[in-house]
Amino acid sequence: MNARILVVDDDTAISEMIGIVLKAEGFEPQFAGDGAEAIELFRVMRPDLVLLDLMLPGIDGIQVCAAIRAESGVPIIMLTAKGETTDVVKGLESGADDYVVKPFNPKELVARIKTRLRPVLPESADTVGIGDVLIDVQGHEVRRGSDRINLTPLEFQLLLALAVKPQQVFTREMLLEQVWGYHYKADTRLVNVHVQRLRAKVEHDPDNPRIVMTVRGVGYRAGAVS
Amino acid sequence: MRRIDWRAGLARLRRLWSGSLRIRTVAITVALSAIAITIIGVYISTSVRTNLFESRKDQVVAEAGRAATSAQSVFTTAGEASEAQDLESVFDAAAGAINDSVSTAPLVAILRAPEQGGQAPFIDQASDAWDQEMATDSLRAAVLASDGDSVSWQSLAIADPSGVGTDPAVITGTLLSVQAQDYQLYLVYNFKDVQQTLDFVQQTLILGGLALVLLIGAVAYLVVRLIVGPVRVAAETSEKLAAGQLEERLPEKGDDELATLARSFNRMADSLQRQIRQLADLSRVQQRFVSDVSHELRTPLTTIRLAGEVLYDQRKSFPPATARTAELLHTQTERFELLLADLLEMSRYDAGAVQLEVEPTNLVRLVEDAIEAVMPLAREKKSELRLVAPGGYFEAEVDGRRIRRILQNLLGNAIDHGEGRPIVVYVDSDASAVAIAVRDFGVGLAPADMARVFDRFWRADPSRQRSTGGTGLGLAISQEDAIVHGGDLDVWSEPGRGSCFRLTIPRHRGELLGGGSPLDLPPDDALDLVRDDEEAS
Repeated sequence: MNARILVVDDDTAISEMIGIVLKAEGFEPQFAGDGAEAIELFRVMRPDLVLLDLMLPGIDGIQVCAAIRAESGVPIIMLTAKGETTDVVKGLESGADDYVVKPFNPKELVARIKTRLRPVLPESADTVGIGDVLIDVQGHEVRRGSDRINLTPLEFQLLLALAVKPQQVFTREMLLEQVWGYHYKADTRLVNVHVQRLRAKVEHDPDNPRIVMTVRGVGYRAGAVS
Repeated sequence: MRRIDWRAGLARLRRLWSGSLRIRTVAITVALSAIAITIIGVYISTSVRTNLFESRKDQVVAEAGRAATSAQSVFTTAGEASEAQDLESVFDAAAGAINDSVSTAPLVAILRAPEQGGQAPFIDQASDAWDQEMATDSLRAAVLASDGDSVSWQSLAIADPSGVGTDPAVITGTLLSVQAQDYQLYLVYNFKDVQQTLDFVQQTLILGGLALVLLIGAVAYLVVRLIVGPVRVAAETSEKLAAGQLEERLPEKGDDELATLARSFNRMADSLQRQIRQLADLSRVQQRFVSDVSHELRTPLTTIRLAGEVLYDQRKSFPPATARTAELLHTQTERFELLLADLLEMSRYDAGAVQLEVEPTNLVRLVEDAIEAVMPLAREKKSELRLVAPGGYFEAEVDGRRIRRILQNLLGNAIDHGEGRPIVVYVDSDASAVAIAVRDFGVGLAPADMARVFDRFWRADPSRQRSTGGTGLGLAISQEDAIVHGGDLDVWSEPGRGSCFRLTIPRHRGELLGGGSPLDLPPDDALDLVRDDEEAS
């Protein structure tokens, strides 16, 4: 079955053009022109991925992103017109997994979409421990004791990447390559923001992390299994 | 050591002197009034002393005259009445007469004048404290030369009755005649009371003078404060205005000159504030405009780009002319996109809307990455890229994206203009700064061009074919990137010897460059490196 993609953009020309590119790659796109329509259509269509423009009339992209994230872990890729720092960070903080800056080329967009739809998980045992939580790789589940921790696929992938190599210190660039599929220098804020989001979910005290540890000046590593 | 302290103290005093109008004014006022008061005090004290002494002396001389007259009459009466009368009792009577006619008990001495024949009616008589030294020779001579009515006097110092110190005194001398024999009558008056009065007056004068000087000092201080206070407030307010607190104003009180100053100052501040606000509004509008243009232009450009890419991917199935059209559309869209991105970046700098994302970064690693990124281009131009990083601690707080952009710009230019000769990248650091220099040995720049190299849309040689597809804004943006880090981007170049661009940035965010750089411009070993290379080949 082809992946269904919800394209949210108020500019019909760009929506149509993205649609042409996506269809050529075998995806099934549907379109929404504003925030309210996007949320409505999302509930009906249950897409496999959302392409979301940040500048929308009415409910803006950040709010749409937060609303979708509140009910689903579906991959969200932001389309940002501005390279402005604050917009990208706001979008990532409200739950977007990745972003593409307009104007982008179609191959780049398709590559981003494919990485998010088919995450490459590292080879590992069925269950991996990190700190005091246990990752069930096959079942795509993370548990602390008997409590299930709800992670988005991206957060799951990030946590697993750290957990399978507990001895390894991961630089942000390594994580960008392994989790986001960037093979060139990309924006390390992606890593920073998602580590913050992940910590908020898995750590007892996000200000004093025990599971996703910071290695100052280098990057991150897994906390010792306990 | 002590000398240095003394000098330091002097220097501090001098600073205080020239630094504070208040201290200077008060000091000058106090000094001048102290001099005036001293002169007046000395004058008053002198005339008081003279007056006191003169009047007391006159009194004493008059008394002495009276005493001599009384004594003389006693002696005369006794001599006329009976020669056989007891001289002792006559003398006692004379002493009594003397004592009756003086106010304070003086020292008394009745001495027989020297060089007289005959028998003395009585021997010399004197009080216990009498000392022959008290009557000087000149006084004795004056007394002997006088007639019986006149009184001679001299001032002298006598021992204080308490035995400590001396007191001023006046000695009077009169000639008496006792049974045809000349006798000198000396009376010594202690002027201690006069001295005490004088001391008291002088003490009062000194205390009064000091009090007056202090009072004048205090008044001067108050007056200066009244004047300097508002001036100081004005200075502080100007400082605050200069620091950006545009709401600061001076209090306007009354109608005097200071109030006029305050009003003019406030009017100036109002006008400044208005203009700055206008500029700020303009800047906001500009920023807003940049942001809007960014969105409005990028949206259609994205569609064009996507469309162009789709056509470009299918160009093989098009007739040749259409295929070439698709290719041109593709490359020019890319160029347009780069230009737009650079323009927007430039406007962001112009609007002051640039934010740094600093984190501790190893600059050598950053340079290695940048070199790797331009490797394909360098290989194409057959330029060898070398990194010279002579050890050291290269961690610095920088915005990696911007530094990488600077490096890509500099490396791209070096490859473009490097004539296929080696390109050397230096990285070095000291305690406060890190520096990166990119040195090429290509065509170089004329001195006139060197000054324009950071100008927008300026190109060294318009006829030159560019492979990095620059927009003409690269170095201008790089310079802004350096400045926003608190650093600097310098250039050295000579025609035929190549160019060197040097980036220097402070190691920590918010610090300032001391003026120097860890790297010289151009790095002096650069030529050696190439020479070695040429010899080897």
